[in-house]
Parts: sequence; structure tokens; C-alpha cells
Amino acid sequence: MKDIFFDLSVRSVKLNFLRSILASVGIVIGVVAISAMGMLGTNMQLSVKSQLSSDVNTVIITPDVVKQTSIGGATIATTTIDTSELQDITSAAGQNTVIPIHRTSSPFYIGSTEGRGSIYGLNPTDIPKFLSVAQGQYTEGGSDALVGPTIASNFNMNLGTRIKIGSESPGAILPAVRVSGILAARGITSDNVNSDNAIIVPDLWYTNTYGGLNLYDQVNVIVTNIDQLNETEAAINAKINRNGDVVRITDATSRLATINQTLGTMTSFILAIGAISLVVAAVSIFNVMMMSVKERVQEIGILLSIGTEKGEVRRMFLYEAFILGLIGAVVGGIMSTIIGYSVVSAMIGNTSYFFQPASIMFVPEGMIIGIVVCIASGLYPAWMASNMDPIDALRSE
Amino acid sequence: MDPIEAEEAMTGSDESTESGMPLIRLSDVSKIYHLESGDFTALDHVSLDINEGEFVAIMGPSGSGKSTMMNQLGILDVPTTGKLYINGRDVATLTPLERTHMRRDVIGYIFQKFYLIPLLTAYENVEYPLILRYKKRDDTGKAAAVLKSVGFDEALSAHRPTQLSGGQQQRVAIARALVNEPKIILCDEPTGNLDSKTGKQIMDILCRLNGEGKTVILVTHDPKTAECARRTIHLADGRVVES
Repeated sequence: MKDIFFDLSVRSVKLNFLRSILASVGIVIGVVAISAMGMLGTNMQLSVKSQLSSDVNTVIITPDVVKQTSIGGATIATTTIDTSELQDITSAAGQNTVIPIHRTSSPFYIGSTEGRGSIYGLNPTDIPKFLSVAQGQYTEGGSDALVGPTIASNFNMNLGTRIKIGSESPGAILPAVRVSGILAARGITSDNVNSDNAIIVPDLWYTNTYGGLNLYDQVNVIVTNIDQLNETEAAINAKINRNGDVVRITDATSRLATINQTLGTMTSFILAIGAISLVVAAVSIFNVMMMSVKERVQEIGILLSIGTEKGEVRRMFLYEAFILGLIGAVVGGIMSTIIGYSVVSAMIGNTSYFFQPASIMFVPEGMIIGIVVCIASGLYPAWMASNMDPIDALRSE
Repeated sequence: MDPIEAEEAMTGSDESTESGMPLIRLSDVSKIYHLESGDFTALDHVSLDINEGEFVAIMGPSGSGKSTMMNQLGILDVPTTGKLYINGRDVATLTPLERTHMRRDVIGYIFQKFYLIPLLTAYENVEYPLILRYKKRDDTGKAAAVLKSVGFDEALSAHRPTQLSGGQQQRVAIARALVNEPKIILCDEPTGNLDSKTGKQIMDILCRLNGEGKTVILVTHDPKTAECARRTIHLADGRVVES
């Protein structure tokens, strides 16, 4: 060994091997807690962000005011987007894709089994623009419908399954659709179309059943170039809300930011819980270092009396703390990778983000924090050792 | 100025002898300990000169101030009043770091209980002061040579202190004290923990070193051990009663 003080520290750790290992176990637990929890939180964030980011280029336009609308000769209050507003949106959106959406929530029946879900009415030509079919085929109109994978699984819907939609009452004949395709899972979405748990019907079937022809509950604009998102929003707002707020215009970025903030807070919280274990480890290291100093008082007296500088004595004890930290950090780093992977796999079910820098960085970060905590715990014992009176230290037995 | 010259400038030089000042001068030195039971005067207005090349024995009964005197001479402590000059430097004016360097470079300490570093081998114990001084491991073979001069071969040098007899440990302690070629060798009851035969061997080594020009200061209560000394200082109640 080049540095005799490091050598002395290594030998001291070896001499008190069991005690040193037990002290390092505290650091192992601390590093694992911080790294694994950090990785869990980050993987959660990355997973959600990825799901939301897939349709982050969508501008969502929803009605903002109650209007008096004439439907079937009767005047009723509605909160919808009408044809003229849709034309304004289409005009402002330019080359971007505009998707008018009808939406309601309704009971439905598969045979005698009752369920409830979202019913979306969409122009069949718009559906492939943002939804994918995993099984079967897209609807071409008529009474062919698509169902989301969650609703299909929950109600055993298959291709060709007949779904009666509406509230059953004596003598009433409920309108029905036939499943032509099952959609691919989308998970959490940010375009306000939660298709996994929905039935997607052709817009004509929808308006024939529920009314509201040329009146839409929502209009989505899929922006081709994400950089033009804000520009497109501004153009729509200028066009349609010029005389006061007629529609509310949102996009996924603000929602994404809110979710990120929430998950970030959650990650910080679980990291703080992990940090508590490091505090406990720090106390343990401090205790071991104090014991090491107390046991080696005479040795410290010898070192000081034959010309060892105070800084060199301090260095020797800080090396010892560093070695304990390094052992804990290395073992903790390995264990946190294994445990972190298992926890992420078990709790999120998706480990594709585990080795991304933002996630895996928690391992070296946790290791560095573990080592720093150890060195910090050794500061006072090292200072105490270096400031001993050599005469008193030599006299001690 | 190379590092060694810089160290010498810090820890003193041959100027002391050239200017006529002895290697060690105690001028009206007192050491008073402030205890709960009252002040205790361990050294009481002691004045003393020790020249380079002397072999001085300091004798006296228990509590006479021998250890306090050794602590002063070893720069482990400073006088309460009076002046202590070592190698031409007033110890009271030295910074703590300068005192540390003086202990390392000017003084070689040999203790009754050997006080070897238990975690190091015999060789490493001797090499240690060289590392302190030159901030690197000894690649000159000096540590091995000094060990050889006290009768240690390579195989024995690899042993830890606990694997050595008392006499062997004291030889290692002597080698450690000598390796930085100090001007002053302080011996605190060096044969106190040894049998008479081994004790005589140790004293022979110290006599030989004095013959080679080293200044040896020996604290002992044993008149036989003090026989080698050419001058004996008797202490009683912190005062020099005979010199």
C-alpha cells in the first residue's frame, strides 16, 4: 500500500471485521432504501410520462359556455361545440388533423350482463388517426363498433359480440352494435379519450341514437409538428374565443406537468423515508468510529508523540470511515440494483425504463450519499483523535 | 530550497552549537499543573544546559519531576514559565505544527513500554518516521539498514510487535528512534520492562550511539542503568539537587 495511513485504516477495519461489517450493513440498508425507492419513483414517472407523451401533441377543445340550442323543434340548453365553431377550429388548425367527438356515458348489456362505460361517437375515417385495432377491423359505419381492451376483457366481449346500449325498460327495444374490432391498449391518455374502457361507435349511429347531429362534446386537434402546439392553440383561441370564452383549450403538457409534479413529490417523500435509514446508519458509523478512537487512544498517543501531524491522524480515521462507507456503498449498490429491479417489476410491471440514466443514476447517487454520510460521521471522531493530548493518550491503558 | 533544507530551517539547525548555545537549554523552567486540589509544581525553576554529544542520566524518586522533564525535552509539553531552547529554538514560540516536526526530525523517543504501533510490522514501525518526514515509502533501504544495526534480519522485520519479545520490541523502538537521524535520543526507563541481560544489551546499543556522537538523555531510577552516562542529574521535588 502506498499510503501508510490508508494501510493502517484497512488493518484496523480487518482487525474489527465483524463490527465493521455490521456498521456497513446500516449503510447497505440506507443505500438500498434511497436507490431502490428513487428508482421506483423515477420509473413510475417515466412510465406515466411515456404513456402521456404518446398523445401530447393533441389540443383538446371542450365547450365552455351553456348555449340555447334547438334540437327537434325544442330549445334546450347545451354545452356543445356546433358546426360553425367546428369550422372556425378547422380553419384555425390549418393542415393539422381535426377530430370532432361525441361522448356520453351509458349502461350497456351483453346478453343479460349489465355494464356501464363511455360511448364515443366518431367519424369512422377519424378513428385510425389516433386509435389502433389490436384484433378485428376498424368500423366502416352502420352498427359496427370498436371496444377497448379493458371493457372487452371485463365483459368477455369478442369479435361479433352484440352490445345493447341504453337503459333497459319494459317493452323498450335497445339499439345494439356489433363488435368489429378490439382496440390496442393505450393506458393513461392525455387526449381525454379513455378508449381502453369505452365503446367507440360510428358518429351517425351515435347521433341517430342520442341526437346532437353536428353538435360535439369535444374536438381534438392532432398537431403534426409538436413545436407548433402553442402556435396552433393560440390560433384557435384567437379565432373562436375572440368575443369571449366559447371553448376551453387545453393540451397534455399542463396535465403532464401536474402529474409529474405529483409523482415527483411522491418520489421525494419515499426518498425521505429512505434517508431516515441513512441517518440511523450514520449514527451506527459514528458509534463505531468513536469506539475505534477510544480503543486506540494509546496508539494515537504514540503516533502524535513521534511526530505524526494532526492532519495525518485525522486522515487515518477518515480513511477508516471511508472504507466502511465504501464497503456499504458497493454492497448497497449491487443490492439496490437487484432489489430495485424486482420492486419496479412487481409494482409497475414495466422495467423498460429501469436502465435509463434518470433511473439507474440512483445507484451511484445512493452510493455517493452513503460514502459521504460515512465520512461525515467520522469527522468528529477523527477531529477528537487528532486533538488528543499525546501525554494523556500515552498514559491511557 | 529543497524540502529537507526547508524542514531544517523550521526545526532548527547547527546554528545553536555554532552560536555557542547548547543543544538543550532550560532557563528557569517551571511546570505547574492546575489541579482541583490546588496548583502542583512538577518542575520548579530548573536551569540546565545539555551539550551535543553528551550522555545524561536524569534520576530521582517517583514524583521528582523526571517524567515532566522528559515531556518538556520531548516537546510534548511546554513550560509554564521560563525558557526551553532545543536546537537553538525557543519551544514556546513554535507553532503546534513546528513542534510536531521537531519531535519527528530532532528527537528520537524510546519508551519503557516500547510503544510500537501494533498494526504495523517491525519494519513498518521503523519505516514510519521516514514516511512522516519524506511523505513517501522508504525506497532507500534505510529502515532495513537501521533494523539490521540493532540485530534484526529481514524475516524478523516482518513480524508484528505482539510476535516479538520485549528485548526485540525495544530494539525496534531504538531503530525507530534512530531512523530519522535525530540529534537527541530521549530514553524513558528503556530497560524497565526487560530482564537484566536484555537490558544490558539495550544499554550497550545506547552507549554505542553516544560514542557515535548522538546526544542521549536517559531517565531512570536504576543507578546501574545510569552507569553508562557521563553526567547524572538528580531531581527531587521538581528541582535539580545535583548535576
